[in-house]
Order: sequence, then C-alpha cells, then structure tokens
Amino acid sequence: MTLAEDRPTEAEQTGSKPDLFDRIRDTPVGRTIWRSPRRVTPRDRAAAHWSSFAMHIYPVKMKREQIAFKYSWYLGVISTVLFGSLVISGVYLMFFYVPSPDQAYADMQTIQNEITFGQYLRNVHRWSAHLMVLAVVAHMCKMFYRGAYKPPREGNWIIGVGLLATTLLMSFTGYLLPWDQLAFWAVTVGTEMAAFVPFVGDSVREVMLGGPVVGASTLLRFYVLHVAVLPLMIVFLLTFHLWRWRKDSMLETARSEPDV
Amino acid sequence: MSDQDLDATSTEVPIQPYSNPAVVDGRRVMGVVPGKPVAGESKDPADNDMVMVWPHLLVRHGVAAIVTCVVVLVIAVLFDAPLRDVANPNLTPNPEKAPWYFAALQELLARFHPLIAGVLVPGAIVLGLIALPFVDRGDYVQRNHRKVAVTTFTVFLVIWLILTVIGFAFRGPSWGWVWPWDEWHGEL
Repeated sequence: MTLAEDRPTEAEQTGSKPDLFDRIRDTPVGRTIWRSPRRVTPRDRAAAHWSSFAMHIYPVKMKREQIAFKYSWYLGVISTVLFGSLVISGVYLMFFYVPSPDQAYADMQTIQNEITFGQYLRNVHRWSAHLMVLAVVAHMCKMFYRGAYKPPREGNWIIGVGLLATTLLMSFTGYLLPWDQLAFWAVTVGTEMAAFVPFVGDSVREVMLGGPVVGASTLLRFYVLHVAVLPLMIVFLLTFHLWRWRKDSMLETARSEPDV
Repeated sequence: MSDQDLDATSTEVPIQPYSNPAVVDGRRVMGVVPGKPVAGESKDPADNDMVMVWPHLLVRHGVAAIVTCVVVLVIAVLFDAPLRDVANPNLTPNPEKAPWYFAALQELLARFHPLIAGVLVPGAIVLGLIALPFVDRGDYVQRNHRKVAVTTFTVFLVIWLILTVIGFAFRGPSWGWVWPWDEWHGEL
C-alpha cells in the first residue's frame, strides 16, 4: 500500500494551488485520518469509495434517476434514521427503567420529572416509534408503486416484509413498557387477537404473555424482546436488506418501457 | 511533413497551445488531436447516466436525515408522550383500544367473526405481500402494464386506511360510533 506522503496530492497532480482542505490533509494529523491523497480521477474516486469502511454500504455509482427524490422519497433513509434515533433515546431510557410491575410506572414518573432530559428523550422515543411505523409502511407502498419487487429484487421485497413485521412488533412490545392503563389494555386487546388462531391460539397467547393475563412475566418478556431480541433482528434484516440493495442497484431491473 | 502542411492545418483548426511535441508539467505531450468530446456533444444529463454516489446521493441522504431529525426534535419539544394512570387489571377502560396500527384489525373484529377478522385477513395480508413478486410476473414496472396488481393493492390499501381511521378516531365507548370533533378517543 502506498502511504499518503509518497503519493502526489491533487494540487501536485494538477499543478493548482493547494486549498485549505489539501493543507489540512497534509498535516501529520490529517494523514492519520485520510490515509491517501485526495482523489482526482473517477477511477481513483471509485477506489476510495470501495476501500472506505464508512461508504462500503453504498454502491459507487448509481443512475441519476435512482438518486432523485421522486424515485424513493428517501423513505428508506428516513426509516433508518428514525431507527437510529430510537436506539439512542431507548438506550438512555434503559438506564432509568426496571421492567417490573412494582417499579416500571414509578420509573416512568421519575424519568419524566427528575431525570435530565428524561421527558424530552421519552418524547423523542415515543414519536420516533410512531413515525417509524408510518415511514416503513410508506416505504413499502412507494416500493410497490415503483414496481421494485420485480426480478431480480423479489428477495429484498420479502426481507422488507420481514422488516415491516419486526417494526410493528417492536412498537407493540414497547407499548406495554410504561405500564399505565393505556399500555396495559392496548396489549390486552392486541394479544386477544392472537387467541383467535384456531387450535394453537390460546397457547400462543400464553407464550406471549407468560401466563393467562398480562402480568409481571409479560412485562419482562416484552422488555427482553423490545431491547434485545427484536432490535438484533432489525439490525440483521436491515444489514441484509442494504446489502441486497447495494448489489441489486448495479443490476438492470425489469424493463421500465416495453419494447416498441 | 513540410512547413506548408503545418500552415494548412493551422488554418482549419484553432491554434492549440501544444500543437507541437512539448513538455507540460514534466510530461511530454505526443500531440493534440482535434475532435469531439468523449462524453458526446450534448451536455444534458440523461436519467440513465451514472453518477458518483459521493457526493450526489450521500448529500441528498444527509439532507433527508437532517430533516427527519429536525421533525422529531420539534414534535418532541411540542408534544409530551402520554402517561395515564398506573396499570390496573381490575379497571377496564371503555373503549379498550389497541395501538393505532392495529385499529383496522380491531375494527374488522367488531364486524366479522374472529376467525375471519383475526386470523384469515391478517394471514392473507402477510402471505399476499410475500407472494406478490411471484404472482405478478410481468416484465414491466410501469403501472399501466400491471393494472391488476396496482388496482388490487390500491383497493386493499384504501380499505385498510379507512378502517384504521375509523377504529382510531371514530370509535368510542363500547366500540360505538362517535364523531371525533364531538368526543376524542384516539390514543397515541
């Protein structure tokens, strides 16, 4: 590998005057951050993209129409950003919350009234969750109307359906955690729906609740699902989703215009 | 090549700075060939042109991310998340409402047999979404080439949205009909 100082900078290659960014890159600190000189040619820039950890989830090049607003409305990015906002605010709330019927509600009051930024981060978490459900559903509709489920993208559509289901489960398990009347009865009603499945319905509901009714084991189960199992599932599915997106973005999709 | 040939060439082609072998930036220029630009004559970019993801897409994604964060920030400053009384298994609120994204299911349950509304419909939705790419096998993505798929999806989507709005805002005590501007029972 060629070290930064061995290679000509853009200024040296083009004979132009080095700008401020060139000079920052050329300091010892700059060279530890950007280990190669500024890329000038398209080939060089593509190589920089491929070798960058931060950029490797993106393809190097895309069609102009694929990056336009009307192509996706950026709903996938918006969903991902909301997920990030949920992780950050959720981890903060985890520091102050114990998932037991004796403590949960009191912890909620403490978070709202005593913890620094507690009320604000709880709001961020709540509204981001609702917005994420909306964004994911909207993303699916947009992809449907664009025909993005057509070959070769069938697999990624199905992963997307899995992500939608996981998002709904995330939101539903989180709904119980405040342990107020709203949470308790919404989850009671929601899990009663599972009981309608013939033969196994009641058993499914009992496994979900950890008992015949919503109680201490339900709270613990929903908490573990909400903070560990389901987020890991989302991260796994999302990684797979983005990897497929990057690979598929380089493929020719189904024809958008019939042959004349 | 005689001097005359060179003169004849120079009358046809605008004078080039390096029309003779010359040294530029330490490299020897072999010659300059008059011709058309490699990219073609038109500068109008086409939809199919490939562009670098950095900066073209990443800047757009960055803007989308910032707008999303600002929207969340503003909503979170303006509205507090609800916190009702502590959970009480002995005190059933009326109406009992599922979260808004299950409101359509709850509305269906009030109208149809639980087996239909609670099992068949949601099961069919999930299976239908998974099966969609394998049912709609046409070659084209344009909407007028997949009218059946677009019509079916749109009909289901509209029904689902209407049921969600009804279940969320238009249902009150004992799941009776209410007008949301008279009494509000929606919970977020």
